[in-house]
Amino acid sequence: MESIIPQLIINSIIAGSIYSLVTLGFNLIFGTTRFVNLTHGVVAAIGGYGTFAMLELFDQDIFVSILFGIIVAAFIGWLSEKLIYRPMRKNKSSSTVLLVASLGLFTALQAVIAIIFSSEFKTLSKNIDSIKVYEIFGGIITEVQIIILCTAILIMVSLGLMMKFTKLGKAIKAISDDEEVAKIVGINTNKIIAKVFIIGSAIAGVAGIAIGFDTGIEPTMGMSLLFKGVIAMIIGGIGNVYGGVAGAFLLGFVENFGIWKISGEWKDTIAFVVLLLFLVIRPGGIFNKKK
Amino acid sequence: MEYLIHLAILISIWSMLAMSLNLILGYTGLLSITHAAFFGIGAYATAISMTVYDINFFLSILIGILVAGVVALLFGLILARFKGDIYALATFGLNIIIFSIFLNWQEVTRGPLGIPGIGRPEIFDFVFKSNLYFLILVSVFAFLIYLISEYIVKSSFGRVLQAIREKESTIQVFGYRTHFFKLTIFVISACIAAVAGSFFASYITFIDPSTFSLNESIFILAIVILGGLANNKGVFVGTVFLIMLPEILRFVGFPTDIAAQMRQVVYGLLLVGLMMYRPQGLLGKFKL
Repeated sequence: MESIIPQLIINSIIAGSIYSLVTLGFNLIFGTTRFVNLTHGVVAAIGGYGTFAMLELFDQDIFVSILFGIIVAAFIGWLSEKLIYRPMRKNKSSSTVLLVASLGLFTALQAVIAIIFSSEFKTLSKNIDSIKVYEIFGGIITEVQIIILCTAILIMVSLGLMMKFTKLGKAIKAISDDEEVAKIVGINTNKIIAKVFIIGSAIAGVAGIAIGFDTGIEPTMGMSLLFKGVIAMIIGGIGNVYGGVAGAFLLGFVENFGIWKISGEWKDTIAFVVLLLFLVIRPGGIFNKKK
Repeated sequence: MEYLIHLAILISIWSMLAMSLNLILGYTGLLSITHAAFFGIGAYATAISMTVYDINFFLSILIGILVAGVVALLFGLILARFKGDIYALATFGLNIIIFSIFLNWQEVTRGPLGIPGIGRPEIFDFVFKSNLYFLILVSVFAFLIYLISEYIVKSSFGRVLQAIREKESTIQVFGYRTHFFKLTIFVISACIAAVAGSFFASYITFIDPSTFSLNESIFILAIVILGGLANNKGVFVGTVFLIMLPEILRFVGFPTDIAAQMRQVVYGLLLVGLMMYRPQGLLGKFKL
């Protein structure tokens, strides 16, 4: 009898890398603005649908389409910051107020997607049969999934390098530590936060596109991504970028191994139980930096 | 006339939901995004009790209250330790999970097929069959809930809640165990939402999971924030406005499925606009 474990490990890693992409943007934005931007989930969906529109409706090349999807996601993220969140920060709105606004924008944008593209499930992979499949230790991984994994690693590494070595990265860290002090030493915080929104939203767009090629897209996908992203973020400790990635992979493993014995539609419930456990045992997150 | 009665019934049901959310959000200052879940628990309790076990409607309300109360208690034990973002995000998760239970626990809820043929309330051989009688019954209940929540917020218990809203650590210094207060109001609020669910199931006679998704919680949130936090009269205004809104959209002539999405766009943007320009809502007494 063949073991199912290699397959479960592969599935866990793929799920973990997609969740970590969502969480990365979440935490970057939280780190600089101190609010949980729930619009982030729908921004990922916008990435997927942007690519879908170019690919199917305008019959463009696959790379052009992917690029377009990422740009649209980044643009919407930037626009939301410029038109909504920046004026609200200027008014000294509390983080709860910003959270409610982002929830409202999430609902509105999700409905707009459904109006334009209908609520049907769509896939970005045109010829599913022609996708190459590889076997590792008895587990199956598709070409698409290998690309997803490599992209996720590439993004994480380059983000890590950016945070450490570039001026932008240092400015982001400075704002996360103390926005007022960062302003005093001459950092244009609004400009940096706008850049954070662009980067975070672009990464979310990549996650949405990855899901589109791996399984498919639907208007409500933002909701489930948001759900996983939020859980990974709390597990990792809100605002902790590395913790978020660890939380995302932990979540990927637990839910994929969880459905080993019970049926697949309970994945979300398993994820939620993990969240509750963490809230009870370690409310500060895996690394427990702050409470 | 029949149409106006229909709207009035919807307004009564949703004002119960909004008043119960106001206890948590307006008076205690905690952002809970899970009200549709308890609304759904009440609706399913009534639907299953009445269609499968042939239990009287009024008894099924009690069952709904009980189930919602127990779920809220178990979850609240964990939840009450938190406030702010984590409180909001955890309740957000709870709604998604309870929705997925409605959808996937098919032996009990029949999943996406839903439960048809739910009866009208009946007492001493009198059936609230016509919509007018139903309206009288549901508005009496809504008024009772109004009295109960006014009583709660004006009692000493309610004053502690409002103190928690203003500054939790201060009231802790005076020796109040705020966790207990946060837990209690969460359970009370869940029970009231379940009552609304029972009436909804009996009125519509058919329920399926789609009514109890996160979007419905956001809708209830929009009602409370629009009408006014910590002001039950304001909340009533908010309910009337947001229940009438899709009807207006229908008169404008959008097809039904587009109209449903348009409704989401409108109240989503409404939330954004309120947060930007008037975070306390129209008649609110508290600013988020």
